[in-house]
Amino acid sequence: MLPMSACSRRGDRVVPRLLPAFAGLLLLAAAALPAAGQDAAPRARRIVALDWGLAETLIALGIPPIGVPETRSYADWVVAPPLPAGVAEVGLRLEPNPEILQQLAPDLILTIAEHEAIRPLLARIAPTLALPIYGPEGRPYDRAVAATGRLARLTGREAQGEALIATAETVMARARARFAGSGDGRSVYVVSFLDGRHVRVYGKGGLFQDVLDRLGLRNAWQGETNGWGFATIGIERLADDPDASLIVLEPLPHDAQRTFRGSRLWRNLPFVRAGRVHRLPPVLMFGTLPAAVRFAELLTATLLGEAPHE
Amino acid sequence: MNEARAVPARPAIGGWPLRHPAWCVGALCLAAAALSLDALAARLPPALWIRATLSPDLADMRQVVVRESFLPRLVVSLLCGAALGLAGTIFQHVLRNPLASSTTLGVSAGAKVALAVVGLWLPALLEEGGEWVALAGSTAAFLLVLGIASNRGLAPLSVVLAGMAVSFAASTGAAALMLFNEHYLTGLFLWGGGSLSQQDWSAVLFLAPRLAAAALLAGLMIRPLSLMGLGDVQARSLGLGLGWARLVLLATAVTVAASVVSAVGVIGFVDLAAPTLVGLLGARRLQDRLVWAPLAGAALLWLTDQLVLRWSGIYGEMVPTGAVTALLGAPLLLFLLPRLAVAAAPPRGALTPPARAARRPWTLTGTFAAIAVLALAAALAVGRGPDGVTVSGPSDIAALLPWRAPRLAAAFAAGAMLAAAGVLMQRLTANAMASPEVLGISTGAALGLLALLLLVPGAGRAITVPAGAAGAFLALAAILSLARSSAFSPERVLIAGIALGAFFDALVVALMAAGDPRAQMLLNWLVGSTYRVSATDAFATAGIAAGLLATLPLLARWLDILPLGAGTARALGVSLGASRLAVLLFAAVATATATLVIGPLSFVGLVSPHLARLAGLARGLPQAVGAALIGGTVMAEADWLGRMLSSTSAMPAGLMAALVGTPCLLWLLRRR
Repeated sequence: MLPMSACSRRGDRVVPRLLPAFAGLLLLAAAALPAAGQDAAPRARRIVALDWGLAETLIALGIPPIGVPETRSYADWVVAPPLPAGVAEVGLRLEPNPEILQQLAPDLILTIAEHEAIRPLLARIAPTLALPIYGPEGRPYDRAVAATGRLARLTGREAQGEALIATAETVMARARARFAGSGDGRSVYVVSFLDGRHVRVYGKGGLFQDVLDRLGLRNAWQGETNGWGFATIGIERLADDPDASLIVLEPLPHDAQRTFRGSRLWRNLPFVRAGRVHRLPPVLMFGTLPAAVRFAELLTATLLGEAPHE
Repeated sequence: MNEARAVPARPAIGGWPLRHPAWCVGALCLAAAALSLDALAARLPPALWIRATLSPDLADMRQVVVRESFLPRLVVSLLCGAALGLAGTIFQHVLRNPLASSTTLGVSAGAKVALAVVGLWLPALLEEGGEWVALAGSTAAFLLVLGIASNRGLAPLSVVLAGMAVSFAASTGAAALMLFNEHYLTGLFLWGGGSLSQQDWSAVLFLAPRLAAAALLAGLMIRPLSLMGLGDVQARSLGLGLGWARLVLLATAVTVAASVVSAVGVIGFVDLAAPTLVGLLGARRLQDRLVWAPLAGAALLWLTDQLVLRWSGIYGEMVPTGAVTALLGAPLLLFLLPRLAVAAAPPRGALTPPARAARRPWTLTGTFAAIAVLALAAALAVGRGPDGVTVSGPSDIAALLPWRAPRLAAAFAAGAMLAAAGVLMQRLTANAMASPEVLGISTGAALGLLALLLLVPGAGRAITVPAGAAGAFLALAAILSLARSSAFSPERVLIAGIALGAFFDALVVALMAAGDPRAQMLLNWLVGSTYRVSATDAFATAGIAAGLLATLPLLARWLDILPLGAGTARALGVSLGASRLAVLLFAAVATATATLVIGPLSFVGLVSPHLARLAGLARGLPQAVGAALIGGTVMAEADWLGRMLSSTSAMPAGLMAALVGTPCLLWLLRRR
């Protein structure tokens, strides 16, 4: 009874309300993109990205999302590229608030594999597009490149998309050359501390693995990983490779500090004894190209010192 | 006579040495030692063992790992096991309660939630003061439990019920924190699972003196402790006021349990299993149990941990040992259950007396219905957006209905079904504390769904209801068959429910800790999120609810007769088998459907029947209908309240209902 009357009423209201929005959109498009104006294909302008990785790609393309989940945590875990002011908080990553989404009136909602169950619900608000970067298939870097291209075409920012992909390749190549020039075939563990005793170690299937491969570095963690490309282990298992360096991603939980000061095992781990522990500012471990670039640059700067400015 | 008794009641038969706990503990130790030696040999050649232990070559990482990780882990497993065995024995003895343990008394959960809260808002405090935070949480939870149960003279059932409710509230709170701070609290889940992994001897140095002091204290107190078994009156006549002794001992046990929690996390069930096990194996005198229970606890945890080490070696995944003890402990407990005799008479037929039986029950029910309609309308109209609270007029609601109506309808239907199932269960078992949640029927449904999720990836919703219903029915049947021999003794039914619940929790924790991507989804469902409810789901749920509730009048006569007992029922010509089966089927289907929507957490099914009764609905049918209306309203309002708490992210309905329902339950318990 209720839903039916709801539908008819809604139908009456939607059209008049959307008219000014359409007009605004047209104006906006005309003002912002005079060059691309001749392309008749409808382009996504108001995009909600339910994944931080896809959000950072959009920001890098110069068309920031209008809504992102958990914006407060984004600032702590992704850091760069920062969310532009005015990006709406849309709720939890896996349960974005539909009423807010509806108010935002996006013309595209970007999702990843974890959102499959709620895509029918999201599809009632706007068309959805799933661009999963992580999964059992692995190779997130390549998939991030593909997603960048796809998003660039969708938003009419092909030039920016190609530039982003090219920049990433250049950064990787330059870093690779610097590592090759420095002469040591390094291996690294890349970890996030979960508490004083456990870390997530990133490996096969993760973005950092792909970056390490491109940089010509060896990942010291050769063990199993899950679909997101990490394994949860006790730090005593980081002892297998005596020549490895340890890359610790911030933010650190409070009790990691105690481990650094007091734990005897920690003090005797090869990389600690040799002074090869490096802290890296936060990088989105489940990110896309901007995260890959950020990781490669931070890693190079940390291990080899600042690059000579080009 | 109040003391816990293990079956067989006869003393161990002379000449049959297998009855002695030493054999069992010895066998456990032997297996654990074999595994340990094997694991050690895989890490370091035997020639270096002594060197690594005494003065390891710090440049040889293998030696450092053995010395600073493998060995302390082994010792910590022994210490924690012994500490828990000791704490469990003291709890059980002092409270004269065979079901007491840090898990069932809310002590672990209290510590856990305290550490989570402090970790989130005052992380600096944890760095040095973690132990005190844990102790404060444990003590607060324990005092709350005692406070609630005190007016029933700390009767075992009341204590455990209160403990369970407090645990439940604390875990629910922790789950809510986890849900909204996923990125910051991943460590909490590992720790909540009780990982024994070590990197130095600090946990050993932390636990050993505390355990030694507690053991010494317990040794000194054997005489007053033994007298405690006699009961207050006899003890006093022997010249011992027991108040102080109780206080000291309970404080000791809580402190020991909190130390374990703050050192390694929540290790479930060892402190319940170890004393029970040695009791069954013939250690009946207190001094025997005080010696053997810690030993058995140590052996149990040692063996479990070595198995975990070996297992995680194969799969390269983190499985916290505490989750595994709970996984193993729950079936063990179910196995022990029929062998466990509880001397205390169960408080049968203690249904809440109606404050004043209503003269016109149907008018009252109509009032409830009117309230329900008003509440639903309000919940549809009032929301909260980024700009604050909004009240939508009839014209604006249209755009919001597609979001708000399905979840409200599903929540209402689920609450109504749970409440009706609760009335049925309470009347069937004549047990005031029976309900889908407490009896583990919700957990059974959840387990059925979990099995489906893990075994049949991508299973459609069409088979989720049957899977859940099958799980619920199996759980129900298992629990009732367990309980039948004791004529639905509340203790047994309850402990079975607790065991099932712990088993499920352990599974979820293990999945979360292993980083299984399905775990987050599971967590969302576990806390009763109505987010994914589509209009079709809502229609289906409401349809099943309506269909089930329509059959209630057919059950009306049975509902009034069954509580009078089997004899009366038979004399009145009621077929016991048929009536019970019908009631059970109803409860299973209702619980499974509801669990599917709002998860296994919520006390709606337990609380609503009591509220209906308190309002004056004394007879079966009006009580069931009234409870269904109350349960539905509570659940729908919980869903609404969850939406209102934050402008962006809704607090799940199941969680809200638990947060509201648990205080209600505590109040009911206190009042009983």
